[in-house]
Amino acid sequence: MSTLLHSSEHLSRRALLKGIVATAAGGVVMNWGALTHLDALADEVKKRGKRCIYLFMNGGASQFETLDMKPGRPTGGLFRPIASNVAGTQVCELMPKMARQMDQIAVIRSMRTSEVDHPGGIYLMHTGYRPTANVRFPEIGAIVAKYQGREGTDLPNFIKIFGHGGAGGGFLGPKYLPFEISPEGQLPTFSASSMEPARELKRHEVRAFLEDRYVRERQSEVALMHRESYEAARRLQNAHQAFKVDQEWDKYKALYGDSAFGKRCLLARRLVEAGVPFVEVGQSSYDSHADNFAWHKGLVPPMEHAWAGLLTDLKERGLFDNTLVIWAGEIGRTPQINNRAGRDHYVRSWTTALAGCGVKGGMVYGASDEDGYDVKDNPVTEGDFFATIYQALSIDPKTENLTGVRPVPLAPFGSKVVTELLS
Amino acid sequence: MKTLLAKPFRSPVVARGGCLRAFLRRAASGFALMAMAFAIMLAMMLGVVAGPLAGGARTAGADERPLRDVIDAELSLGWQREKVEPAAAATDAEFLRRVSLDLTGVVPTYDETVAHLNDQAADKRARLIERLFNDPRFARHQADLWDLILFGRHPPGYDTDKRDGIQRWLRDQFTANRPYDQWVRELLRAEGNSVEQGPPMYYVQYRNQPEDLTEVVTQTFLGVQLQCARCHDHPFESWKQLDFYGVAGFFARLQVVDVGKKDGLTMFAVGEKSTGDVLFTGPAKEQMPGKKGEPVKPKFLLGEALAEPALPEGFKEPKLENNKPPPAPQFSRKDQFADWATRPDNPFFARAVANRVWAQYFGRGLVHPVDNMSPSNVPSHPALLDALAKWLVEHQFDLKGYMRELVSSRSYALSSRGKTGEASPLWFQHARTRPLSAEELAESWRVATGYDDANKDKPAEKKPNRFRPLTDGYMLRFFGQPTNGVGDFQGGLAEHLFLNNGQLGSVIVSAPGSLLATLAKPDQPWEARVDRLFLQMLNRPPETDERDRFVALLAAEKDPAERLRDAIWALMTCSEFRFNH
Repeated sequence: MSTLLHSSEHLSRRALLKGIVATAAGGVVMNWGALTHLDALADEVKKRGKRCIYLFMNGGASQFETLDMKPGRPTGGLFRPIASNVAGTQVCELMPKMARQMDQIAVIRSMRTSEVDHPGGIYLMHTGYRPTANVRFPEIGAIVAKYQGREGTDLPNFIKIFGHGGAGGGFLGPKYLPFEISPEGQLPTFSASSMEPARELKRHEVRAFLEDRYVRERQSEVALMHRESYEAARRLQNAHQAFKVDQEWDKYKALYGDSAFGKRCLLARRLVEAGVPFVEVGQSSYDSHADNFAWHKGLVPPMEHAWAGLLTDLKERGLFDNTLVIWAGEIGRTPQINNRAGRDHYVRSWTTALAGCGVKGGMVYGASDEDGYDVKDNPVTEGDFFATIYQALSIDPKTENLTGVRPVPLAPFGSKVVTELLS
Repeated sequence: MKTLLAKPFRSPVVARGGCLRAFLRRAASGFALMAMAFAIMLAMMLGVVAGPLAGGARTAGADERPLRDVIDAELSLGWQREKVEPAAAATDAEFLRRVSLDLTGVVPTYDETVAHLNDQAADKRARLIERLFNDPRFARHQADLWDLILFGRHPPGYDTDKRDGIQRWLRDQFTANRPYDQWVRELLRAEGNSVEQGPPMYYVQYRNQPEDLTEVVTQTFLGVQLQCARCHDHPFESWKQLDFYGVAGFFARLQVVDVGKKDGLTMFAVGEKSTGDVLFTGPAKEQMPGKKGEPVKPKFLLGEALAEPALPEGFKEPKLENNKPPPAPQFSRKDQFADWATRPDNPFFARAVANRVWAQYFGRGLVHPVDNMSPSNVPSHPALLDALAKWLVEHQFDLKGYMRELVSSRSYALSSRGKTGEASPLWFQHARTRPLSAEELAESWRVATGYDDANKDKPAEKKPNRFRPLTDGYMLRFFGQPTNGVGDFQGGLAEHLFLNNGQLGSVIVSAPGSLLATLAKPDQPWEARVDRLFLQMLNRPPETDERDRFVALLAAEKDPAERLRDAIWALMTCSEFRFNH
């Protein structure tokens, strides 16, 4: 009688364990009963193997110095527009390589978001939600890891290379924490064993003896999960090669541009090729309250070179159609130029871009007004942005997870998918 | 009046116009109906509790069975009805480790283990339980549990990570075994400051955020979840938005002030103004810029609006300033809430804590999650929950006495070896398996490896790191919150990278007194040394195959130090150590 009232969290936990039980439990597979809709969804999505690379412009890149020029206007700034390979679409002269890739990407020139400072904006542009006291929202990387990740792989499902944002797995839990690579490509603390392999194996064998006994005797879900994450940590030892780009770098230097960001993008490509569903690649810092033009002149060329190289590389390897490349920062920058030749924070009207994974290349969605002060048409909120991204990744943005008893949809309630962007 | 509230209540803006009057009237009459229905339902749920609660005294000729027997009888009825088979009784070793961790947050020592296992007396478990209750670590462990309930690992608000004051205050409450209703009342009244007294720190988390505070106060102490009603009437419970804002009204006048520094910590005090109201403008999705709201008076859940004395003629609100203790308000709404919430006849309070503390020992609440005691989330064992709440009220919220009944029941002492695979089965037919907290792990590692024994003669540091010799930041990051959004354990890669490649070597010391030093002495045969290894680390002797396996590993080496380290590491990191079971 009462089971119908107690079962919801039971099922969600079982859903989580299902893969583990099948792969690691051996003789203790249990009758898992009816699966929820969410399980079926997660399985279906995984089959499609979609991946995501998030190029994160920390500090907030200027739309005016990148993809939404205002030539001849008081807000236009110092740089000139150049033509792109899409008729009628101009980009900043700092972006000659991307100018030849505009047919591959969709630009959203009508972003309107709700957190104007860095911490809130970074949180927002990683979770789709504003920070609140009582809910720990998960980052997009955790969500993609949950719905597109695989159990039993050597590599983690959520990787950040010079990543930003500390929301991590949020209420999805520690299984979905990011694996964070430093700006220079160093693996996180404790990810490498310094133990001689023969000794490590002996140690492992005696531990495995204990674990097998315990699991066999207790038939315990949590012990299975504990064992599975131990195995994942051990498997990672075999996968360190995937993070080493140095041998390959000479070959790709020209394509990605000889920069730290270029190297990070190459690593991201290697990781998605190896099956990692989500990689964030960060570049810092665009927070150009002073000398906006000098900052962008330094930051944009290596960034756009790497971005263009990444798109080319993904295409050549046949990954482009299954890999979504997001380009965004946490905020945009003010139309007016301040007395230090800087631009300040602005979220009323700004620009992001998407590519791959079924996004319509060559498209410009929405528009800002002639000086860039406001969205002229088709505003896109943070919720709409993330809903569209999840849709492109074949994850239903209305899917809910529980925090306590509160169901939280992946994209905030009321968000709409910008279907025009997706083919 | 307007200034205080304009900011925290961003969406329900400033009150004036009459456009919402009609809405409010509608909502109010609708509410009355729903409240009646809910009250009837609640009366039914309360059942046995209602009698003694209303009477306020113990009923003559009431059921005098010890609560532990009631627990066993009620759970047993559930097993029969649901046709599930209870697990066998836990062994002495299993019980010893389980109850030690549950009451004091640390595993027993080798000596304690051997003494308990060799004890032949019939009352040895009762004596063990009393010893643990009298251990100073009992209060510390309870304080840890409540610190997590009140603050979590990532409390909102500035400076709320420096909680020495309230943590000490919590320990004091459990050391003195102060009645739960009394200390919660004191916590919610929040007198004094956050460093010298402690309680104000609870509100510091939600400074200028009375809505967030409303969500957590009702959820934590009453098991009532109102957060849905913050933006719209609850979709399937009877809570209306006006219930939410009615509670928020008790907290809307609070203001956190900084009253100086002590020991390098900022002392916060909680002031309360005498004016200001919550402004309510209807459902969040109908909010429009510039829409005016109506002031909402404080109202008790399922109860009356607060009766407030009028302000004296010509009252002028004194300024709350930093570095000055805030003046007392003319009439404290917060204190009214604190008194109402903790009254024995409060319809939620006793049940909420009975259920929460039950879950600490039995893995899940009789209502689960423990903080959602709504009519649509019925208890698995309604009569038992009634009995637990009744017991607490009749025993003046004696938490230690309550815990004694729980851990003395036969049900608590079942084995955790079950057939369902679940960590916490719905019918409690086997004991639950829970992960050790970061604090429990660090201290238990030190006890199990003999780190503490080896270091006992060293002068204590002035403010020792709870996680020594491990880094607190790592321990909290990797073990601080090992659960998902619904509280279930979730393994993570990072935890094992730390266990495999991190700092555990620093706990496995070789100084005299340590387990490593003891085991390295060749004066005992390997069999005896492996017995010692298991008794000290897992609080049980090894099974035959385990002894053989470990003897084979260790005896094969001329210099076994490295193998010994590996054996100790394996026992530190295995599931049997990681969980309380």
